[in-house]
Amino acid sequence: MTKLDKRDISKVYWRNIFGLQWGWNYERMQGLGYSWVMMPVLKKLYKDKPEEMKKALQTHLGYFNTSQPMSHLIIGADIGIEEQTGMQDEEAIVGLKTGLMGPLAGVGDTLFLAIYRTIVFSISAYMALSGSAVGLLLPIVGGILLLWLRRWFTTVGYVQGAKLATEFATQMKLLTNAASILGLTVVGALIPSVITYTLDLKYKMGKVTLNAQDMLNQILPGLLPLAIVLLSYWLLGKKSMNSTKLIFVLIALGMVLGNLSGIFGWLGGLF
Amino acid sequence: MVSLVVIFALSLYVAIAVLDQISIQIGPYSPIFGGAVTGLIMGDLKTGLIVGATLQLMTLGVATYGGATVPDFLTGSIMGTAYAIIAGKGAEYGIGLAVPIGLLLTQLDILARMANMFFQHRADRFAAQGNYKGVERQNVWGMIPWILSRVIPVVVGLVFGQTVVNAINQFIPQWFMSGLKAAGMILPAMGIAILMRYLPLKSFWPFFIIGFTFMAYFSKSITILGVALIGLAMAGLYMMFAEKGNAQPAPAAAPTPAPTPGAPVAHEDLYADEEVEIND
Repeated sequence: MTKLDKRDISKVYWRNIFGLQWGWNYERMQGLGYSWVMMPVLKKLYKDKPEEMKKALQTHLGYFNTSQPMSHLIIGADIGIEEQTGMQDEEAIVGLKTGLMGPLAGVGDTLFLAIYRTIVFSISAYMALSGSAVGLLLPIVGGILLLWLRRWFTTVGYVQGAKLATEFATQMKLLTNAASILGLTVVGALIPSVITYTLDLKYKMGKVTLNAQDMLNQILPGLLPLAIVLLSYWLLGKKSMNSTKLIFVLIALGMVLGNLSGIFGWLGGLF
Repeated sequence: MVSLVVIFALSLYVAIAVLDQISIQIGPYSPIFGGAVTGLIMGDLKTGLIVGATLQLMTLGVATYGGATVPDFLTGSIMGTAYAIIAGKGAEYGIGLAVPIGLLLTQLDILARMANMFFQHRADRFAAQGNYKGVERQNVWGMIPWILSRVIPVVVGLVFGQTVVNAINQFIPQWFMSGLKAAGMILPAMGIAILMRYLPLKSFWPFFIIGFTFMAYFSKSITILGVALIGLAMAGLYMMFAEKGNAQPAPAAAPTPAPTPGAPVAHEDLYADEEVEIND
């Protein structure tokens, strides 16, 4: 049996970092990339076995799609299994790949797309709005840490092989819940800080000027941003709604909100 | 007319950025980098930062979950920043333009993802022959549609830049521009709402309220980082209590090994409300 060494794992790791999605397509999604990522290992394991190589190529070109950071666990486990048994257990390999890609996609998208991205990029955008480009370093530092984490995922997957499926998943859930708490706290804080729209409506009566925004602030600061977010949240729950349609709804709302004083002026002129 | 050097530099940048978007996601793919780099190249970093940051906040929740196509706000932020600097009309003008540009370019992203099916089928043929080098090459060529789908609009948009900007100025009324400005300010609501749909809000809503309240009332003295630290502390507390809660039923369940403690099931339930489809 051919044995793999550290350099083979490294090659697969770097290919996974850069090229898993180069060939992304609607039909097999990351399938083309998966076979490319596995290639250094396939070449070594099936060097003198053209039939097994053919089988491996066809298996790995199949449909595959998961969260990129999490794919390292699956690919690591796949390598571990194929090193032991080659392509004999083709079904076990396909089962492992498809069985893990769904749950890990959910966990990975929550951790790395929803939570990590929100926190890192909102802090850096927040700093940029006040004119400082220093915040741009934050995603880069975070990205380098993620590279290290993904390297660790590859090793864990490779060492744990099929065992990973059950054990790691339960631990991940606790961690995901904790991360969700952090994420939701930040999401709540984002509302009043990033939605900067304020009412520009003043009502003059003799010497007294009523400012609509000041009145809203006395009820609850950030009331308007919260209302717009909750409206969007509610709309997104509708079957017929998606984020692209929501953009148009919000642009239409902006058209009204941006011209409020004009609209009220026009209405006032009617009477 | 934008200088050739600028066009070349921005084309190179967007090519690197789209590869970043589909691989390591370390930064260049994000609208905030798109705005900042464009601003830097065209000599107005501040405008670039504001256009980029606003788009970034707006699209926080818009990620390609499960490979869905989303509006191309990377190219949108580059073009928006470039047009804002050419016209000299400030960041809001750029933000207003970046959104429709990003929406329009969604189509090119879809085309690129379709074009790669061609390489997938070629790879299938090579695999049947056992030709692994042939299979390998197809994935590498898959980069070409991705790059073209971003470089073409940047080049076309910059070459015809002044003409496009002039046309916009002539045809668009004032109320429309102030409407776009307000829209730019409320559009971040979308990104936040998608995140709320995506995260288990129904299970953990109290933390959402805590985050909102801190920022709404103490925005003069607290930053996002400060609230994030509070969130981190609460997440840590959750871990402590959850582990304690899991540990207690274990001895009781010891005599009868068959039914394992219900912890995993309970966690499964917490995910029930996460089943949200985000169609783009």
